[in-house]
Amino acid sequence: MSGGVPDAVPEVRAGAHDVEERHDYLTRVLGEIDQEVVRRRSSGDLPRRVERELDAMFLRYSPMGGDDGTLDEVLDLVESSSFIDPVVPIASSRPGGGVAKRTIRRGGLWYMGWVTHQVSEFASATSRALRVLDDRVRALRTELDAQRVPAAPVIETPWAHRPDAWWVDRALESLAGQRGRVLHAAAGDGWLVRRLRAEGLDAYGVEPRADRVVATEPEGLDLREEPLLGHLRAIAPGGLGGIVLSGVVDAMTAAERDVVVVLAAQTVAPSGHLIIHSLSPKGWASDEAPVEADLASGRPLRPRTWALVFGRLGFEVGVIEGPTSDDYLVVAVSGGGGEGRAGAG
Amino acid sequence: MKVLFVTPRYGPEVMGGAESAARLLAEHLALDVRFEVAAYSTCALDDRTWANELPAGDSVMNGVALSRFEVPATRQPSFFTLDKQLRRAPRQVSLAQSQRWLELNGPHVPRLVSAAADGDADVAVFSPYLFWPTVAGIQAAPMPTVLHPAAHDEPPLYFPAIGDAFVATEALCYYTAAERRVVQARYRVAEKPQIVLGIGVDDPTEGGRAGRDILGLGERPYLVSLGRVDDQKGSAMLDAFFRRYKQRRPGPLALALVGPVASTIEPHPDVVVTGAVDEPTKWDLLRDAMAAVSPSALESFSIVIMEAWEQSLPVVVNALCEPTRDHCLRSGGGLWFGSYRQFEVVVDRLWADADLRRRLGANGKAYVDEHYRWPALTARYARFLELVVERGPAAAI
Repeated sequence: MSGGVPDAVPEVRAGAHDVEERHDYLTRVLGEIDQEVVRRRSSGDLPRRVERELDAMFLRYSPMGGDDGTLDEVLDLVESSSFIDPVVPIASSRPGGGVAKRTIRRGGLWYMGWVTHQVSEFASATSRALRVLDDRVRALRTELDAQRVPAAPVIETPWAHRPDAWWVDRALESLAGQRGRVLHAAAGDGWLVRRLRAEGLDAYGVEPRADRVVATEPEGLDLREEPLLGHLRAIAPGGLGGIVLSGVVDAMTAAERDVVVVLAAQTVAPSGHLIIHSLSPKGWASDEAPVEADLASGRPLRPRTWALVFGRLGFEVGVIEGPTSDDYLVVAVSGGGGEGRAGAG
Repeated sequence: MKVLFVTPRYGPEVMGGAESAARLLAEHLALDVRFEVAAYSTCALDDRTWANELPAGDSVMNGVALSRFEVPATRQPSFFTLDKQLRRAPRQVSLAQSQRWLELNGPHVPRLVSAAADGDADVAVFSPYLFWPTVAGIQAAPMPTVLHPAAHDEPPLYFPAIGDAFVATEALCYYTAAERRVVQARYRVAEKPQIVLGIGVDDPTEGGRAGRDILGLGERPYLVSLGRVDDQKGSAMLDAFFRRYKQRRPGPLALALVGPVASTIEPHPDVVVTGAVDEPTKWDLLRDAMAAVSPSALESFSIVIMEAWEQSLPVVVNALCEPTRDHCLRSGGGLWFGSYRQFEVVVDRLWADADLRRRLGANGKAYVDEHYRWPALTARYARFLELVVERGPAAAI
C-alpha cells in the first residue's frame, strides 16, 4: 500500500445501473469474496487461536436467531472454537508479571493440558456431529429441490379482477356491516381494497408478487408486499373480520390449499367472512385462462368441493357461479371456534 | 392533527438510534405538514444511568412542543444482574420476571405516562419498544397509538411483558421490511395497520474541511464508522479486526470511530476516536472516507448507512444484521462480513478496486434518493397517522 486510495474515484450519478444489474454485480462480487475467504482459510496463514478469538468477538453481540445464509459461518465458528488452548498467554504490563505467569503456566501445564484435551475432544466431536447434520440437511435439501413444487402463482384474469367484475358486488353485499379488518389477497394495486374502503370497510391488502405494490399511503390504502402464508401465520387468532382471496387458491396444490384454508379459518373471527373467488375447471381449461394455468402444479376445485371443505370446518357456505360458469364465488361464514381447527382435507 | 411522541430521551444530544429517528420525524411533521407536534420525554441523556442531566419543564425545539419529566430514581445496579440472568434463556422468562425487568430497565416515570394519557393528542407515537414508558404508555393511552418498535432479534423481544405493547398498540411503524419479519416472527400483529417507513436523510451540511485534516491523518485514506462507540454496537470488534488487519497489511489505511464514546478504545496509531462531532464535521468526515463500516449486528435501520450513501460512499455491514444486510442487498450499495476472514477480504477488495467502490457508492446513493427523502417520507407518514386516527382506538371484533 502507498499513500492515498488507489485510483481517484470519479463522480457517478445515481441510476447508472438498473435493479437487476445491481443485484447481479453484487452477487458476483460476493461470490468472489467468498471464494477468496475459502482460499485464505485453507492457506492457514492466520493462527487458529487468533481467528477463533476474533470470531468470538464477532458473535458476542449477535442476534438471537440466524437464517440459513449464516449457518455455514456459525458452523465455521463452532469448529474454530473447538480447540481449547492450554498454553495460557503470559504477556503482562507489570514488571515481573510475565515471569510469574510463565512459572504458574509451567507448573500447571500438565494439569491444564489434561483437562483441555478432554474438553477439546468433546467440543471437536460436537462440532463434527453438527457438520454431519449440516451435510445431511444439505443432501435433503438437494433432494427436495429436485422434487420441489413451486408455490402457486397468482392467477390474474383481467375480466375477473377488476372493480366492476360480477362477483365484487356480491362480495360487498356479504361483507356489509362486517366489523374488524378485511384482508384482500392478492391485492395487486389495491383495486378491491379501494372498493371495500369506499363501502366503509376497514380493508387492507397483501400482494405476494414483487414490485406490484405501489406507494398507496397518499390515498389512504394499507397495502403490503408480503407472502400470503407468512402474513396469515402472523395474524392473531380471530383477528380479522373477513378475508377475500382472489386469484390465490386457483392454482394451489392440495397441500398448499390445505394450509391456507386452515390458517384463514383460524384468523377469521366468529361470524367473520371468508370469501374466495376462483376460476372454475371450465374457465381454467378455456383459451382465455392466463398462461400460468398451464404452468401451475395445482388446479381449481369444483365449487361444491369448497362447500364440503368449509362445511367440515364449521362454516356456513354459499356458492355462486359466474354468468358464464368460468368462475365462481364462495362465501363462507364462520360459526366460531376457528382456532385449533384440524386440516381441511 | 395533534401528534404526541413519547421517547425515553429526546434531543440532538442523543445521537443515532430510535430516539433520534423519532425526533427527526416529529420535527419534520411539524415543519413539512404543519401538524401540531408535542414530545414527552425525560431529563436523562444517558440510558445506562437515567441520570437527570437536562432541566425539567416545557420548551419548544425545532417546532415541537417538548415536555421533560424528571426520572425519580437512577437505574439500580440490580437491573444488570437480572438482565444478565434473563438474557441467557429469554424464551423461558416469566411474565413477572419480565415485568420486573421492564421496571428496572426504566426509565420509570409514572408522571410522564399519566401526562401522555391525560393529554389531548389525537394519536400518540411510542419508540422504542424496550423501555418502560413505551409499554406502560401504550396500555394507558386512551387515544390511538403507534408503536415504532425499532426491534432487532435480541433477547428482550422474547420477554412476555414486552408483548403487551405489541398487542395493545393500534398500529405499527417499521423501519424496514426486515424489522417487520423479525416482529411478526415473534408476535401475531400482522392485521394491525402498519407502514414500513424508514428515516429520511437530510441534505449534507458540510463544513468545508478535509476529513483527513479533521482526523490529523495527513494524506492517509481512512474507513469511517459513525455512531456510538460501544461494545454492543460492534465498535470493539471492529477495532480488534482493524488492528489485526493492519498487523497483516501495514500501510496508510486508518480507521476513524466517530461518535460518543461508551467503551474504552486503546490508543493505536491507525485508529482515531473523535468522540461526538457536529453535523458539518460528520459530513466532512463521511465525504472523504474510503468506505463506511457499520459493525453492529443489532440495527433496525441504520441512518448512518444512508448518510454514507448520500455521499456516494460504499458501506460494509455486519452479516448478521438483517436490516443493514437487506439494505445492501436491495441497493447493491454495500458488502458485509461475518468473520474476520471476510472482513479482511472485503477491505482488501475495496482498497484495490476503485470501480467497485464507485459502483457501490452510486447504487447506494440511488437507493437513498428513491426511498429515503424527507418530504416524501413525511407525507406518507402523515397520511398513515390520519388513517390510524380515522380508525380510532382498537375495538374487539
